[in-house]
Order: sequence, then structure tokens, then C-alpha cells
Amino acid sequence: MGDIRQSLLPRDVLSAAKELLYHLDIYICNVVQSGRQPPQVDSKTQELVEEFILHAPKDRNTPARRMSALQELQLLEIMCSCFQEQSRDTVRQLMFSALFNLQGNQADESRMSLLGKLVSMAIAVGRVPILECAATWLQRTHRGYCVRLAQVLVDDYCSMVPGSGPTLQNIHNASPRFCCQFITAVTTLYDLTTEELTPPLELLQMIVSWIQEDPGLVLINFLNTALSGNQPISSLDVTPLGGLMRWCVKASLIYSRDKKKGLTNGSAECELEVGPLFSALHLSVLQVLMLLPNILNEKGLFGRLALLQVESLAALTSDLSRLLDQADKHTHTSSTDSSDLSELALDRLAQALQVAMANGALLCSREDLRAICSRLPHNNLLQLVLSGPVLYYNNIHTPPLAFSPHASHSPIASHPTHTPHPPLASSHPQYPAQPFMTGMQFPFRPSH
Amino acid sequence: MLKDQTMSVVLDGSPLKAMQSSHTHTAQTALSGQELSQEIKSFISGIDTVQGRKLSVREHARCAVRLLRSVPACRGAVLEHLRGVYDEHVSAFLHNLETESDASSGVSSNLEDIIQEVHGVLSEFICLNPRAWAPLVSTWAVDLLGQLSSKHAGRRVAPHSSSLNELLQLWMSCAATRSLMEAYSQSLAAMLSWCPDACVDALLDTSVQHSPHFDWVVAHIGSAFPGTIISRVLACGLKDFCSHGAKEQGLMVMVGDKGSRVPKIGSVVGILGHLAVHHSDSIRKELLRMFQESLSPSSPLSPTSSSTSWEGSPQLRRAAVPFLLQLAAMSPNLFGAVSAELVELLRPPVLLQLQALLQGLPREELDNMLGLAVHLISQSPSGGSRVLRFLADTATPASVIISGPTPSPHEGVREGCDRLLQMLLLHLHKLVFNRSDGAEVNPHHPALSQPKRLIPFLEELQSHVGELCAQTLRLERKRHLWLHQLLCLLSVYGGPSVATEALCQLLTQAHNPEELALAWQLHTTLSSCMAGLIPAAVSRCVAQIHTHTLGPRQLRQLLLNLAAAIESQDGERRGGAAAGVQASMAIQMGSAVSGHLHDFGPLLLHGDSAVSHATVRLLSCSPLPRASSPAHLLLLSRAAVTHFFMGLRRRVESGKVGRDGGQACEAVNCSVVLLSRLAAYSPLTLKAVLQLLVEGALHKGNTGLFGGQMADMSGAPLPSASVSRDIGASLLDINCRFGTVVNFSGSVWSVFHAGVIGKGLKVRTETQLPDPSGVMQNVQTLLTVVVQCCSSSGFDGSINSSRPPSDPGEPLAINAEAAKVIAVTLVENVCPDVANGELSWPPEEHARTTVERDIHIRRCFEAHPVLFPLLQVVAAGRPALCYCSAVLRGLLATLLAHWEASRETLSTDDPWHLQASCLLVSCMGEGQLLPPVLANVHEAFPHLTPFEVRLLLLAVWEYVRGNGPMPQKFAFSSERGLFCRDFSRDGDVARYVAPIQSVLHKNIDRLGHLCWRFQL
Repeated sequence: MGDIRQSLLPRDVLSAAKELLYHLDIYICNVVQSGRQPPQVDSKTQELVEEFILHAPKDRNTPARRMSALQELQLLEIMCSCFQEQSRDTVRQLMFSALFNLQGNQADESRMSLLGKLVSMAIAVGRVPILECAATWLQRTHRGYCVRLAQVLVDDYCSMVPGSGPTLQNIHNASPRFCCQFITAVTTLYDLTTEELTPPLELLQMIVSWIQEDPGLVLINFLNTALSGNQPISSLDVTPLGGLMRWCVKASLIYSRDKKKGLTNGSAECELEVGPLFSALHLSVLQVLMLLPNILNEKGLFGRLALLQVESLAALTSDLSRLLDQADKHTHTSSTDSSDLSELALDRLAQALQVAMANGALLCSREDLRAICSRLPHNNLLQLVLSGPVLYYNNIHTPPLAFSPHASHSPIASHPTHTPHPPLASSHPQYPAQPFMTGMQFPFRPSH
Repeated sequence: MLKDQTMSVVLDGSPLKAMQSSHTHTAQTALSGQELSQEIKSFISGIDTVQGRKLSVREHARCAVRLLRSVPACRGAVLEHLRGVYDEHVSAFLHNLETESDASSGVSSNLEDIIQEVHGVLSEFICLNPRAWAPLVSTWAVDLLGQLSSKHAGRRVAPHSSSLNELLQLWMSCAATRSLMEAYSQSLAAMLSWCPDACVDALLDTSVQHSPHFDWVVAHIGSAFPGTIISRVLACGLKDFCSHGAKEQGLMVMVGDKGSRVPKIGSVVGILGHLAVHHSDSIRKELLRMFQESLSPSSPLSPTSSSTSWEGSPQLRRAAVPFLLQLAAMSPNLFGAVSAELVELLRPPVLLQLQALLQGLPREELDNMLGLAVHLISQSPSGGSRVLRFLADTATPASVIISGPTPSPHEGVREGCDRLLQMLLLHLHKLVFNRSDGAEVNPHHPALSQPKRLIPFLEELQSHVGELCAQTLRLERKRHLWLHQLLCLLSVYGGPSVATEALCQLLTQAHNPEELALAWQLHTTLSSCMAGLIPAAVSRCVAQIHTHTLGPRQLRQLLLNLAAAIESQDGERRGGAAAGVQASMAIQMGSAVSGHLHDFGPLLLHGDSAVSHATVRLLSCSPLPRASSPAHLLLLSRAAVTHFFMGLRRRVESGKVGRDGGQACEAVNCSVVLLSRLAAYSPLTLKAVLQLLVEGALHKGNTGLFGGQMADMSGAPLPSASVSRDIGASLLDINCRFGTVVNFSGSVWSVFHAGVIGKGLKVRTETQLPDPSGVMQNVQTLLTVVVQCCSSSGFDGSINSSRPPSDPGEPLAINAEAAKVIAVTLVENVCPDVANGELSWPPEEHARTTVERDIHIRRCFEAHPVLFPLLQVVAAGRPALCYCSAVLRGLLATLLAHWEASRETLSTDDPWHLQASCLLVSCMGEGQLLPPVLANVHEAFPHLTPFEVRLLLLAVWEYVRGNGPMPQKFAFSSERGLFCRDFSRDGDVARYVAPIQSVLHKNIDRLGHLCWRFQL
């Protein structure tokens, strides 16, 4: 296929790109029909894509050709119809990855930018095949890039174009897989560490409504994926459960902090709206966790696959303790209010921990849990959870599957937004360590 | 307002609200994916996909707006498409203008509403989500504006880019550009709260790219947001400056090449230059604020560091001062705006901070800044004197003694200023001396060797020469050296006029020899390149005098200084040192002053005694001009004489004690010197001086000085007060008055009015007796003057020069001609009647015909005792006394009459007459009108009775009658240097001695000791 380069060179930017797309389609069909395994495009083709579609500079001497925004739009339109019209999933998938799989070279930037526009456009005009491809892409790509894509979409639909929210809302119907991956990416992106990393209200409402409407959405990716060991390194989590749990736990503290910063009346209103949203979301998360045992048992993975990572839980608790610390410092005046919020955060954590452990989403011993939670201030519910009865796994002694993307990559994921956490052993000076009372009886029994 | 609105939206941060507020567009957003896809296709192809026809521009634009609202991914393409729409509108607009078709409701109006629509959408988006849209729109709008204004700059209707206002008017009347401008303003207003830098960065970049055509945008934006734009522009420039590194820029400007390598700072200067027209105040404030804040110690918590961010970075803060310097170097406008107030700001604490700040900079950067600062100062068109004063003040070490109200600055600061000042002087020196012939002096910098280059700093200082001189003269340590150097440079720069002015000011303002020496130093430096400086300076001084710009004190000082200058010549000569520069200068000065003697003359009569004193000092030491017009000389003589008498009077009034007394004495002495010099100058002046002196001595007003009284000369009755007040003379009154109807004076019909019968003798006017010692001194002084004048004869210089006053004991020889002048003047003044004025004497009986005149003469002598000494002087200058013959005769006649009528027993009972007789006879003897035998008779007078005195005087008369007092009887004896009369040629004296012998015999008991005096 490398021989078409000479014929492409004299064309103008757009028609060259078009022609290359045409040839690419044919080429990939050939590849698929030849049954070569694994089906993939060769590096020559890859270079052609980079040169004529992504316009990465081939070498220093030739200046990179650029498309105008209009030409780019035309190209996107052509791509849309191209993917739409391609009936074979494999070809489509291969084509998508030929275009957008990251190669670790300087073309990746333009790749990302084109991908963002394409997906955004696909959402707008409802091109399901593209969304499906994008869902796969999100599954296979490093989470840093996934997060960037999510950012582009959120910017486009939740801030740039007013009134376009409903369009995004539609992806739930159009492509649940993409929707699920999108939620995962968004929860990874907005980790509530800074004000910028707080999700827009519109987005939050959207996500809550999605999950409320269909709790299974969260697990759809987990269900549809053949779990294998060759999950790419540092990709997104299989489910957004961890991120959602983080949101619910931290939300009360974060929004109250933001309220103090923003001195206008707007945030109070915001607070009013946000509180119930997160409560609903928390409930949904717990409900989804409750769905897990059946699924896991079906797959025979109960007690072997941890959907929630201990490492991310550790990060969450240390974040939480820091936030509590800050809240305590900043609000010694209105202590009742802030202590209420702290209690809420700790309660939610305790609930989530308990439900997750009980439903096999979190695989760790009480001792580990105690260590992780040692820096948190006292909370009755948490105390109960920590001192709770021994959990029974079906096969507690079997080691968990090496499924987690983090497992090979400990201790903590190399996600850029995550900062390394201090060692857990060092107990926080301000709060008394969570005392562990051995003799305490735990009245609650999980139902199964 | 706009800003408030957007702010509130920002803070709400709630897209929900945005959704609510944009619910009107839900119809459009509800398009299905399929429809949207169609819409995109239409947009791309420009063809309505449903109906298959071509879209009009308008419809196409509508389609684009719809996509903008619904498909985020189309944003870039839509905006790009809209560029074309805007461009089309501008083209149509300009075309309409060009064809001047009034039917402007064609294409353009169609597009105008679509542009309105686009603008509405964009502004709505900006309102709803400023953070996302404002940067996007602002970049787009600015870029498009730049493109449009560049593209259409060449159009026929488009005014030239230099006429900013017309350009602004044109573009703002075009809907497209106006809408863009508004959109940009809105974005800017929205962005100012969080990231103004990006916005202004874009503006600056575009401004650079489309430089002259884009200026109207910057100007408009700038005037819409003056405060923020200015500070933003500055902050941007600073950042850019900081990142580019100050060094090469500094070098570049020093070389004078404002190339394109520094784009940002160039456009910063350009923009600020535009804004300076209307907002110079805020620019100045902003610049000064920048300066101040760059100095104030970093306080991260300070809430005042409002929107800008550069205060936070130490690196930027350090770069601020170099940046400002750079800015100032590139724009004279900005520099001018700041320089004035900057100096005010530089109080000691600020200086300390500045020093602390600059300490951290590397050496060569500091040098660079120093060079830049020096360059700036030398180019500053105003406020130079203030800067100079500041520098000098700060650089001069404040000792404990001088420390003023401000605390002494830090040592480092002081050194810095010191260095700066020295560099400045060096720089100016180069500039000044390279200016004229730079090619030879400095071949390495041909750029500097332009033939005539203005140095604004010096230009401005030219008007402050006076101040500079005053400061220089304070002689404060280093300061006066600097200032002196500066004066030199200024003089060289400004040419003769400034040099003259400076020298003149120094001459006027110096108070003591040290200060005066500065003037000489200045002249020494300048004399090599300027000729005729001193005469010009003196002329300038004279001009000052004429225009009365100087107060009495200054005037006095000036005159004294000039005098000192001239005198230094004498000192030099006396010191025997080689005739140095100073001597030659003094000579020049002397000749210059001598050329203006007539201008100084009137000052002798200045109302302020100090001034006249100074004048006389000057004149007394200044050489007299070689040639001068008689009128000037006469005027000068008159003034000098008048001053002499004034001096005498002042001396009397001030007494001898105290400073005034000493000064008055000195003034008189100087006056004496002046008069004698004047007299020695030429016959004309000698005559004039003597004449004036004598007249002055006899003048009514001066009689008191010499022991005289106001005598009633006419003999007429004193007019009563009532009459004198009556100015309108009535003939009847006059006729009623006795003796005045017919004037008999001078005839035999003299009538004497001694009083009214029954009332006794007429009362003489009362006069107070003057202080005898003062009188004596005055008379002495007068005689000194007269004698000096007479002896330093202008007639015959050889006599005087051959006999210098080497022996002070020897009496000075009285010049005969001079004595004659005195004699003639005396006669003119004392004896009003020329009748019977011949020299030879008539018989004594004939004296009756001249009784009235004789009485007048006697009264004159009574009223003016000084006449006798003057007569003596005349007598010494033989044969001048001959010309006084009439006076002598008259006096003698009245004395004879008096002694004849006297009924006293002794002559001593009439003291005045006795004295007069003695003096008269002795004078005549001195003047050799009488032989020694007869001349000695006055020695006997005090011992005789009045009648006997009369006998002896009669003998005198007889002798003179027999041997007329004729000048031709005198012969010049060369060995004595005098005229002498050989009495042997005259008739026998014995004939006249008989009465003497008789009197001797009669009174031998008392006159025995005098007998030998009368031996023949």
C-alpha cells in the first residue's frame, strides 16, 4: 500500500485524505479476508495515515501540511459516513485502530485532536458504530488519553455549546458501552482534588440519571468483556465503581469547601442540588455492588476478582483524611455543620466498604482495612465495619486473578492526577488512631 | 455592566442556568442526528441537500450558526466560514462607499442582519460561558480584525494608516468590524478577571503582525479599557522582555537600531504611544506603579497585587526596572511622562530598595543599565535640572554639618549616584566633543558623528544656566566640580551665547575670590575653543545692568567681582609670577570693562551707596580706554565728581566708626583714585574734572562739607515765606519793593540793603556749625584730589612720568595749566561780573566802582572757607594765580575798606578778616604776585591795629598795581620744574616797603622778632 504515496503527494490535503481513507478501507478488507492473525495494519500504512490524515511532519525539511477547519470538518464528515457505511465490525474496528491507536510518536497529538472531534461529532449526529469503536479504544488506551477524550467531550457538550447536554445524554441509548466507558473516564478525570477537577453539575446530573435509570450500565463493560490477562497496562478500570465511590465519599466535603471559597449565593443553590444527587448516586453504587455476587458467581470469579482495588481505596482514605483535616482547620467556627459533613463522608465510606466487601468487590482482610483506615477519625459506623465479623469468601485461600491492571503495576497506578501517597503506617498526629476493640460484637450479617 | 453580567455568570458556574436562559433555542437543538448530519452536509457543500439548490450566503451563514449551536465539533469550521462572511460584508461595505451609491440596502444590509445574528450568538455564548468562549472568540476576532484591516488597507476609501481617527471612524461604521470589535471587547471584559494576559498577548501579536493597519483596534480597545490594557500591555511586555533577556535589547538600543528582533516591546511602545494621547495620565501612573511595586518587598499575602501576576515572580520584579528603562529608551513620550515624577519618587527608602534590588544583578547587566540610564538622561527633553539636582544631592556625601531635612542616603546609593553622574558627564563629554568633529575623534562609532546632534538634556539645561552657576558657586565638595564640568560642557555645546551667559552668571553670583576663581577656571577651559568670551561676558553684564534685572546687592557684587578680576592682574604683576593665564585674563577683563566705562559711569550715582561704592572701585581699578568719545568722558567725569562729593557727604554722615564709616572712607579713597586717573587721562578730562571739582566745592549743597554757610549772595532782602510761595509774580509787588525796581548791580548806583530802619540790621540766616574735624578732613580730601589731579598732569605726561611719586615727602608739583583751570573756574564762580576783569590792578580809589562786586566776592569767601585752600593750590601752580587777579583784588578791596572802618583796638578782634588778610597775602606771596618782603607782612598782622593792617595791605595793593600780575612775567625754570618770577626785573621794591618799615618802628616792642622777615 506504500506505493500510493506518490499518487497522493500532488493532491490537495482533503482529497489526499479522502483517497487514503478509500484505499485504507480496501486494504483492511483484504487484511481481514486474508485471515492473518492478528489482524493489523503494517507500519507503512500507519505512516501514510500519519502523513496524509493526521498531517504529522514527515521530516524537518518538508513543512507539515495543514487542513483548514472547513477541510477538517469535511474529512470528519467523510469518516463518519465511512464508518457508518462499513458493515463489518472487524473491518471497522481495525480501521479505527489504524487511524486512532496511539503510536507513541508525535502524530499522537493530532490523532487525539481528530479523535476528539470525530467522537464529538458522532455523538452529535448519532453515529453508533463510531461510538462503539471509541468504547473499545477507551478500553485499550492508556487512561491518560482516555481522560483527555472525556475532557474534550465534556467541554464540548457541557460547557461550550449551551443546550447540547441532551445530545450527550443520548449516548446512553445509542451506545451503552461507550456510555459506561465514558463514565469511567469521567470519574477518573474528575477526582475531586481541585476545583477544576470537579465535574460540571450538568454532567453529574446526567450520570446520576443514567445510573438511576439503569444500574447495570455500570457493569456493562465488565459483562461484555472477555476477561483476560492481557489487559493493557494503565488502562481505565473495568468499571467506574471505584471512581463513583470516590465521588460519593468525597463529595460532601469538596462541595462544602467550594462553597466557602465561592462567596456568592450561587453555590448554596448548587449545594442544595448536589447533595441529593450524590445521595442518589451513592445509593445507586450500593445497589450495583449488590448486583455483583450473582454476576461474579456466574462467571465463577467471586472472591477472585477485585473490582475495587485496595490501592485506590488507600488513596481514597488518605485523601479523605487530608480533606477532613482541612475542613477541621478551616471551619472551627461552624463546627456542627462541618462535623455533619465529615460524618456523612465517613458513613458513606463505611457503607461502601461494607457492601463492597460483603459482595466480593473488595478483597482484603479486616487487618488490611484497619491499616488503611487507621488515619481516619472516629466514626461509629466505620468502627463497626472495621471490627466486623470475618468475611466469608467461597474460596478465600485462592489467590485473586491477576486481572487488575494495577496488580502488575503496584503500588499505585501511574495516572497523572494521582499523587503518590505516604506510607499508610504513619498514623495521623491530629486524630486518634481508629481504636480497634476486639471484643466488640458485630450485629450485622450480610444476607448471603 | 457587561463585565458584571459575565462575572455573575462565572461565579454561578451553572450551565443549568445557561440552559434555561437559552431555552429559546431548544427548537434548534432538538434536531435529530439525521437532520444534523444533513445540516453538516449542506454546510460543507454549500448546497441545500434536501432541495438540492445552492445556498445563498445568508442561508449558508444561518446554517453555520445553527451548527455552531448544535454540533460542537463544527466550531472551528463555522468560525472559519464566518470569516469569509465578515470579509464579504466588509468588501461590500467598502464597495458601496467607493461607488457612493446611496442604495446601500443591497447586499450589505442583507449580510448586516446575519452579522447581527452571529454577533448575538457569540455574545450569548460569551455571557453563558466566558471561560470557554472568551479566549476563543477574542483570538478569532482579533485575528480576523487584523486580517480585514490589513487586507482592505489599500482600498481607495480607506484613509491612510497614520490618520488613526478617520480609520477608526471608517471601521466602526462598518457593521462587521464593529461587531468584531464588540465581541472582542466583551471577551476581554470577561477575561480580565482571570486571564487577561492571554487576551492582551493575542492583541499584541496581531498588532505586530498587521502593524500600522491594526493600530486603530489597539487604540479603540485601549481607550475602552485604559487602565487594564495599559497594565496588561506592560505586564506582557515585561514578561516578554524577561524571557528574551534584557541584554541584547539593551545593546541594540544603545546602538540605535530599533529592529524587529524585539517585537513585543516594540508594539508595547507603539500601543502606549497611541494611548498616550488621551491617557497619558494613567500611563504615567501605571508605569510609576510598576516601578514602585517592583521595588516593594515581595509580600505574597498582599491583597493589592490584584489581577496582575508579575509582582509575584522575583525574576520579573527584578526585570521591571531594566524593562522600564528600556521602554523609556524606546519611546520619548513615555519617558517624558515618567521622568518628571520619577525623580520625586526617589526618596531615600525607595533608593535603598532599588539598591537592594539591583545588587542581585550581574555586573554587565548593571553596566548596561547604567549606560541606558545615562543615555536616557542625556536624551531627556525636560526635567533635566531636577534630575541633575537629585543626582548631585544624592551623590554628595551628606556630612554631619550639611545634613539637611532628609536623612543621609545609604553609602551604596550614594556611590551609585556618584558613578551615574560621572558616567553622565563622560557621556555628555563624548557627545559634545564628538558632535562637531566626531569623525576624527571617534572613528569607531560613525553613527555618533553626525554633524549637529541635539542633546536634549543640555538643550534644556541651557535655560538653567543661572541656577547651575548658583549651585556651582556653593562650592560643596565634589558637587561643584561636577557642575563646573557640566557648565563647561554646556558652554561648549551651546556655543558662545551659553558660554557668555555662564561666565556672566558666575561673575554676577560669585561672592568671594574662591568662587570667582571658578569663573576663571571656566574661562580657561573655554578659551581654547572660544574667542572673545570675556568681552562678550562683560557686554552681557552691562546689558543686565541696563535692563535693571539685577537687584542692588547683585549689582554691587557684580561690580566688585569685575573689580576683583581686574585687580588680580595687579596682584599677579606684583607677585612677580610669570604672566599667567589669569593675568592675561585680567588684562582682557580690564580692556573689556574699559570699553564699557560710560555704561558703568551712571552707576556711580546709584541710589544704593553700596552699588556706587562698588562702581567706584571698579572704575578706579579699571584701565581707561585708549580712545573714548569726549561726551562719554565728560559724563564720566561729571559722575565721578558728583560721586566724590556724595562720598564725602556719606562719610560725614556715617561717621568714622563702624563698617559704614570704613566703607565710606574707602569709597572716598577710591573716588580720589578714580578722579586723579581721570584727570591724568587727557587734558580734556583734567579740565573737566578740576572745573567740576571746584564748582562742586562751591556748590550750595556742598558748602556745608567744607565749613561754609548758606550765604545770601544777592544782598536782597530775604523773601518772606508768603511771597516765595506766590509763584505768580505781581508787578505791583515788585514795584513796591524797595531797590528792586531797577537793578543797579555792577554800577555806581549800588544800593545796599542792610535792614529796615527801626528794626536793626537784617538778620542773617542761621546756620549750624559743622563738625570742625570733619570739615578739616573734607577739605583735606578735596585738596588731595585737586593736588593729585593737578600734579598728574594730562598736559605733560613726561613731567609726571619722569618724576614718579618716589618720595612721598616731597610736595607734588602743581601743574600750571591745571592750576590755571582752577583759577579760571574760581573766578567764574566767585566773581559773577566780568566787567573790570582785567588782570592788572587799578589805583586803590577805583575800587569804589566795584564795591558791589567786591562785597559779593568777600561774601563768597565768607561762605566758602574752602576758597582759601583752593587759592593756595592755585598759587602753588604759578603763574595761575594771576588769573585770579580780579578775585584777589575784590577781596583785598573789601578788606581794606573793612580795616579802614574798623574801630577795634586790635586786628585780632576781627578774626575772620584777620585770617582772610593773612591768607590772601600769603597766597599772593606763594603765587609770586608779591615779592617775599611784601608777602611776609601777614605774619605781622595779628600784632597790629586795624589801621596798621590797612596800611600794610595798601602797600600790597600799591605793589600789585605797580607790578601787574601778568603770567608772562613768569619763566619756566627747568631745574626746579616750575615757573618762577624774577622780581629783579620789576621795579624797585623798596618804594613799597616804607610803610612796613614805619609800622615796624611803631611797634618794635612787639614786632622785633619779625624784623628779619622784612629785610630787602
